[in-house]
Amino acid sequence: MDSAIEVRNLTKHFGRVVAVDNLSFDVAAGRITGFLGPNGAGKTTTLRMLLGLVNATSGTATFGGVPYRRLAHPPLQVGAVLEATSFHPSRRAIHHLRSIALAAGIPSERAEQTLTLVGLADVARRRVGGFSLGMRQRLELATALLGDPQVLILDEPANGLDPQGIQWLRMFLRHQASTGRAVLVSSHLLAEMEETVDDVVIVSHGRLVLQTTLTELVRRAGTNGGMRVGTPEPDRLIQVLAAQHVGARHVDPGTVVVDGATPEWIGPLLAHHQIVVYELTRQGSGLEDVFLSMTAGFGTAPPGGPGGSTPAPDISGGESR
Amino acid sequence: MTRLVRAEWLKLRTTAVPWVLLGVATLLTGLSVVFAFLNPLRTAGAAVGPTWITPTSVAELRNLVGAGAGADVVAVLLGALTISTEFRHKTVTAAFLVTPERGRFIVAKLVASVLASIALGVTMLVGTMAAGSIVIAARHGSVAALWHQIPAVAPGMLLVFALFGVLGVGLGSLLTNQVVVLIVILGWFLLVETLVGALVDIWVTGFKRWLPGNAAQAAVGYTARGQSHTLATSLLPWWGGALAVLAYGLAFAAMGWAVMRRRDIT
Repeated sequence: MDSAIEVRNLTKHFGRVVAVDNLSFDVAAGRITGFLGPNGAGKTTTLRMLLGLVNATSGTATFGGVPYRRLAHPPLQVGAVLEATSFHPSRRAIHHLRSIALAAGIPSERAEQTLTLVGLADVARRRVGGFSLGMRQRLELATALLGDPQVLILDEPANGLDPQGIQWLRMFLRHQASTGRAVLVSSHLLAEMEETVDDVVIVSHGRLVLQTTLTELVRRAGTNGGMRVGTPEPDRLIQVLAAQHVGARHVDPGTVVVDGATPEWIGPLLAHHQIVVYELTRQGSGLEDVFLSMTAGFGTAPPGGPGGSTPAPDISGGESR
Repeated sequence: MTRLVRAEWLKLRTTAVPWVLLGVATLLTGLSVVFAFLNPLRTAGAAVGPTWITPTSVAELRNLVGAGAGADVVAVLLGALTISTEFRHKTVTAAFLVTPERGRFIVAKLVASVLASIALGVTMLVGTMAAGSIVIAARHGSVAALWHQIPAVAPGMLLVFALFGVLGVGLGSLLTNQVVVLIVILGWFLLVETLVGALVDIWVTGFKRWLPGNAAQAAVGYTARGQSHTLATSLLPWWGGALAVLAYGLAFAAMGWAVMRRRDIT
């Protein structure tokens, strides 16, 4: 299958900091590709290099073989949702869209159409300064859709959306992909993307960790993450499990996580040994753990990384910009 | 390019910026109009203050017609703000997505700002003529004589507004920070040019006529604000002044483009 986006050996240095390091991946048409990694992994920088906003130190990013800056009609070919702050607060939503449509040679009726599409038709004449974060995200999306592009690039689009909004976004992206569009969507939360994406590109410290399909990633994650057992007698449970040669971890005073266990396996065991149980739940999805271990464990000491910098706290605990 | 200029025009008129600047320009022009009706010379001997006059001489009439030139610095602010607001509110991201070739972005700003600056100049001229005519008529002066001076004054005045639009965009593309560019423009035209001009002129005679404010004064091409004959002769010819201001504007824009094309928009 032809790639809608090809990234080859993309590298970006900010002074001595290597933000993106020899990154290569592909985004296929008709599929949603999740671009995943912890905060500071270089996702935003990569997307901005794709869009010609940030100059690559080396390497290329192309759409059907053409870099963004050389596209004949960029807004008609690629739509981008970057961040929810890029509006003039005193400008009305409809005027924001019309000014971009005008510059891009898109009929101004498209401005009304896309506003309706993202559910903002009622506030078309309101000033953007009064918009909530979720409304701004939708307006960004409307901007990206003006030219009806075949490629959509979204940077953390779920930020600021409420659960209904995220659900709506998911359906929306699914629909876009089903009509043959290529969708590249970044996120620092795999859980947020788990139900949305077909393919995953996982990055950490600006480097590619893995490009694969979600199906393959789930397979790699194994069957499950084990069972979580709440009990007043955790020590006795661990003894019983040790006798069965099953690993277990004491995570809280009254909670034990049993590796690789299923409810069907551990239920009868607990009954047989007459262990009192307060809680019995599946431990996580397994997928998130795999994601965390991949992004945290990968290249813990990146060459050329900022030695003394103190990155913002993130889910992986091992971050560098 | 026409599309881009029209888009810039739409962007300009859909924010509060031009209305604020119009207010500032009206205030400056209003003050200039008041000065045109004042005799700056105190009556000899007595402690009498300045007296009100009815403009009759060519110089007095031209001063009144050209009162709007007192607001020409607003055209520089307008040009600079068209770029600095894009960076301040990060709308430059959207602008560069539509126009990845950043030189075209600057050229569209230049054209739109020249048009907006001329519109601003025309507005000031119309306002001045309206106010001036009413006051002169009330004081039984000759309104016809005032209108007679329009052809001599208006071209130079509007030319400077247009050139200042270019200068503003040039400065804005180089100094994209809104606060910095506002301070530099106001600081230069209100204070620094006078100081630098006077200082360097001590060693290099005639230096200061090359500075933007003096060059613009030459480009206006008439004896505005009661210029003495000696002051007029210390300036460049009108076309020289116009070319000098244009050169400043385009040089800043070229430098701005050189910086901007390599700039990372993060």
